[in-house]
Amino acid sequence: MNSTKRSVWQFPWRYTESILIVIGLVIVGFALQLSVGKVDFVQLAYPLNIVVGSGMILFLLLFAFARNTQFYQWFSGVPFSVSLIGGLLVLGIAMGLIPQMQKLDPHAHDIWTLLGLTQVTSCWAFVLVYFVTLLSLGSLIVRRLIRFNWRDYAFYFNHIGLWILLFASGLGAADLRRYVMYVYEGETEWRVYSDHGDILELPIAIQLNDFVMEEYPPKLTIIDRESGKAQPEGKPDYFQIDERYPEGRLDKWELRVEKYIHQAVRNSDSTYTEVPMPGATPAVLVKITNTETGKSFSHWVCGGSIAQLYMMAPLTETLGLVMTQAEPKRFMSDIVVYTEDERVDSAELEVNKPLKVGDWMIYQYGYDNIAGKASNYSSFEMVYDPWLPAVYVGIILFAMGSVCLMWSGNKKKRKGDTE
Amino acid sequence: MTWNEYLWFAIPAIVCWLGAGVTGYLTDKKWISNTLMILGTVIFGAFIVGLWFGQQRPPLRTIGETRLWYSFFLALIGFITYRHWKYTWMLAFAALMATVFACINIFKPEIHSTNLMPALQSYWFVPHVTVYILSYAMFGASVIAAFIQLSKLGKGKEDENLNIFIDNIVYVGFGFLILGMLMGAVWAKDAWGHYWSWDPKETWAFITGAAYLVFIHMRLQQYHKRFVLWMLPIAFILLMITWIGVNYLPAAQGSIHVYSN
Repeated sequence: MNSTKRSVWQFPWRYTESILIVIGLVIVGFALQLSVGKVDFVQLAYPLNIVVGSGMILFLLLFAFARNTQFYQWFSGVPFSVSLIGGLLVLGIAMGLIPQMQKLDPHAHDIWTLLGLTQVTSCWAFVLVYFVTLLSLGSLIVRRLIRFNWRDYAFYFNHIGLWILLFASGLGAADLRRYVMYVYEGETEWRVYSDHGDILELPIAIQLNDFVMEEYPPKLTIIDRESGKAQPEGKPDYFQIDERYPEGRLDKWELRVEKYIHQAVRNSDSTYTEVPMPGATPAVLVKITNTETGKSFSHWVCGGSIAQLYMMAPLTETLGLVMTQAEPKRFMSDIVVYTEDERVDSAELEVNKPLKVGDWMIYQYGYDNIAGKASNYSSFEMVYDPWLPAVYVGIILFAMGSVCLMWSGNKKKRKGDTE
Repeated sequence: MTWNEYLWFAIPAIVCWLGAGVTGYLTDKKWISNTLMILGTVIFGAFIVGLWFGQQRPPLRTIGETRLWYSFFLALIGFITYRHWKYTWMLAFAALMATVFACINIFKPEIHSTNLMPALQSYWFVPHVTVYILSYAMFGASVIAAFIQLSKLGKGKEDENLNIFIDNIVYVGFGFLILGMLMGAVWAKDAWGHYWSWDPKETWAFITGAAYLVFIHMRLQQYHKRFVLWMLPIAFILLMITWIGVNYLPAAQGSIHVYSN
């Protein structure tokens, strides 16, 4: 496939040599995996990742003195970078097809586990290719920065942005900490659980003043009264209660919402009244018309809660109309955050609205799913990621590069050999 | 304003959009299709603004409301892209996709109240999805062009203009794809605690991005022309796995990107 006759390993190197070297990297990675086990990211945590990162940058700067050699041209050139991307692509496909494990089963001895492919991100082959990609991309950037041309702004945005992103997220992965904290209403907590279930104490404490949940109105569905399964089985049909659209249809029954109460309590005569209190449950009065017989009747339907029984509207001897559990619209924790010696911040924490405290981010995580809005605790995810600002710099540069790509397309004509 | 007034805005907007798509092909007077496209988008945008005021909150909480934005942004960004690149099919595609999403809201009114779970209630949702739809369109077009070029190569007459078209369209598609991924990353940091968690959908997005990078870099050189062109259908298949296939992959059970039950 080469345009000139030359033997393998004779400069200039092209795809054959590049692909062989990437395959070599992967083989070395597998050998390391088999002999020393997976990459231990804890070892790479601060300060070692700073040392490794500085070492890489120093290497790139020194290596630049050799930029006119054929080796440098190849190392920073298209065939090698395409081969490295291809290597990441193939390892990525392995990651996409083989189920990835959070925790390795120590007794698993299948070939995928031994080669590290059930945890690709801490597999030596992946880490080595990732590392060499950073060096190759870095040396290309250095070469192009030395003969800087402002007209190549799109190139700089894309390549430098991607490099910073890969550099900061890769090395930063070792410093990332994610814990879950459970806090009861009215209490203050500083202990968290790690992924492995260990209990740790953090320098940050959270006081939970209140946990509030808003729900969507529930849906109605027909179930088999014996099995409890929603009908038609396997592909159940639902009618969303919405006072703006009171009419609907399930199977051969026409439904009309006559009255909907979100916080209802059952009266002694099996009707419902609005009472906003813990344990109240959504209830709906529906007019049900059988379209085949034309007969209609009204009935209350209620989903029940930890404090109240459910109510079903019987349709036939085997079918009944029931209400589903209400889905959360939003849930919010009113919290105060303390460090060891002072009150730092207070917030109404919601999904999609985390709170930043120093290098920590605090997220609304969960609640007691069974109790729903009556949950008396709220859980928070605490994430520590000191490399985040660098990641955002990479994201912004890369995004600017993408906009440039869309705007200018490929104005340059296809080139010959270099780059 | 409420959904009850939707038809009064949607139908004129759809008529304008479809008119723009058709006149784009029928006549050389570009001002006609341009005016129609802008008019349709303004009418549709007016409804979104009205609904925003009427409900006293941004219309971003239900699937139906989200679809309003798809229509609006597909029309708007599609039109800007068309004005820049001057490919008429871009205008027609944007008009058609905007119409499709506007029509779903007409014919399936019950989805107006299909609820969004809290994690999806974010300003990032609409732009994240819209730019992906646009990138799929560009990459889809590149596959067709790649096959045409492959058959021309087979006959020994490569079309240089087609090469330029493929390059441009892949650049535009890749730009949209990366913007979608980066917006997704920023959103994920807010919603899930980390910008990249190697969730199966993210893994496949990484694979797809890598495949397009292989194309973009290999076509800089003149070697292996057929292989380079074949990368486009291959990358598009990977893109489809990312978009749809992930829901069915055994390795992806438990993905946080799967929202249907």
